[in-house]
Amino acid sequence: MLWQRESAMPRNCWGKSRMDLSTYETYAETLEELDDEMRFEYILDIAKKKRAKPFPEEAMDDAHLMHGCLSKVWILHDEQAGRHYFRGHSDAAIVEGLVAVMTDSFSGLTTGELAQIKLDHVRRLNLGALTTQRQVGMMAMLKHIQKLAGARAGIQAA
Amino acid sequence: MTAIVAFDQDCRSRNCYDLDSVRADFPILSRTVYDKPLRFLDNGASAQKPRAVIDAIKNSYTSEYANVHRGAHFLSGAATEAYEGVREKVASLLNASSPDTIVFTKNVTEAINLVAFSWAETFLDAGDEIVITEMEHHANIVPWQILKERKGLILRIAPVEDDGRFDLDRFAAILNDHTKLVSVPHVSNVLGTVVPIAEVTRLAKEKGACVLIDGAQGIVHQAVDVQALGCDFYAFTGHKLYGPTGIGVLYGKTERLVSMPPWQGGGDMIETVSFNGSVYAEPPMRFEAGTPPFVQAIGLGAAIDYVQGIGIDAIDAHEQYLRDYAFDALRDVPDVRLIGEDPTKAAIMSFIVDGIHSMDVGAVLDRQGLAVRVGHHCAQPLMARMGVEATVRASMALYNTTEEIDALAAGIRHAQKLLG
Repeated sequence: MLWQRESAMPRNCWGKSRMDLSTYETYAETLEELDDEMRFEYILDIAKKKRAKPFPEEAMDDAHLMHGCLSKVWILHDEQAGRHYFRGHSDAAIVEGLVAVMTDSFSGLTTGELAQIKLDHVRRLNLGALTTQRQVGMMAMLKHIQKLAGARAGIQAA
Repeated sequence: MTAIVAFDQDCRSRNCYDLDSVRADFPILSRTVYDKPLRFLDNGASAQKPRAVIDAIKNSYTSEYANVHRGAHFLSGAATEAYEGVREKVASLLNASSPDTIVFTKNVTEAINLVAFSWAETFLDAGDEIVITEMEHHANIVPWQILKERKGLILRIAPVEDDGRFDLDRFAAILNDHTKLVSVPHVSNVLGTVVPIAEVTRLAKEKGACVLIDGAQGIVHQAVDVQALGCDFYAFTGHKLYGPTGIGVLYGKTERLVSMPPWQGGGDMIETVSFNGSVYAEPPMRFEAGTPPFVQAIGLGAAIDYVQGIGIDAIDAHEQYLRDYAFDALRDVPDVRLIGEDPTKAAIMSFIVDGIHSMDVGAVLDRQGLAVRVGHHCAQPLMARMGVEATVRASMALYNTTEEIDALAAGIRHAQKLLG
């Protein structure tokens, strides 16, 4: 896969052997500690760090485009030993940061584990405090990666 | 109702009317967003509602609610009187010849679809031409595309200039003997450009074409006289005119409306029904099948009263002042590119910020309490024409202030600092 060759995935997304939401937990706890303004800047900071490692240009095509977004979002998906790995990119910085939170959080899970991720997991990240539209976008992102992983049927609000 | 203070002809100050008093009429404007004062600059999408409108709706539900037209009791009579009274108010607002020329719809989209699938469906044939512009909202594109496919019509597009101006000469050059319908916006929802609809109508009439004006953004900013214009149809929506959602208007010349078949069937739009056939009601009822949105219409009536109480000319003058102020303020911010620079346009300011996605700009502005719109504004062909994918749009209303425009400019600078 394009992004594996570039070793661009966060280190802690690899090698998970059981339902491991440690990256998600780290994000959730950090976001909980921040006030609204800091949360906003934190997401922008994540985006800046992600952009330091460019997303493969050849993957910015219709096949990887997530439809229905105001900004463009491309998602790469790979499956290794039954586990799913995601990497995303957006032309909008804030969305880039939000996509990173989602793809980092839920990479390395099996199809069954991904199906257990509920909309409440997204709500807990409290990114709706950035703006309501972002919250809706994050929900759509969860559904999108679940669909890519074939776990779409498992979606339901907790 | 607000007190009107000295109105000077130029309105170069904010004293077209007592702005503080007007703002106090809109309860939502006193709220905060993210602990910051709400600065609402998304009026092109939908305007906020004065207490008079909110109270009228509340009163309708609490004191005068019953279905209109056929009830044999007091409340139905009162509701019918109120509903039909709004039809008279709308006719007066547009200087229409009769309330019977006013059809209530749910919005402009439905009004345009009514013209498309009743009038155009009936009277246009293969090879007939419809003229629209590059600055259309999707609502004035897609219905004609559907009809084009169905009937073999030809859709011609009048261009806009690079600075967003409407070029009357190039428009005139498109017209020909096959032109059967000209459907143009009064005011572009993205550029703010005011289309010279009187001239457009005159030129179209020289070719014998029918004229439909999409007034969604127009009537909000300017007085409209449909008889002076001579247009066949004029559509507008209540919620952009400080009224409720779910209520729109299609004005149609009597001779047009009476020639048109119904496009939706149901109760209220018939004289008699039997299994052998039905006799349709005369316009406007012919086009109002089912229980109409009469409470929303009553809210629209209150909105019209409110706007007329301030004075549409005074509102226009205030918004022109805001537009000029916004031109200066936004041109002062480095790397801001205005999309639509006609100096006589309505107070709708679309722009992009070089190097920053419009969505990011909108998100940072949102954090400052500034409500703007971001995206293609349901005008994707116009976005392509102007060479952009999306813009930020700040659209002003009668209650906006220069301080809010200053905050907008400061917010853009803040976005540049954060994201640049």
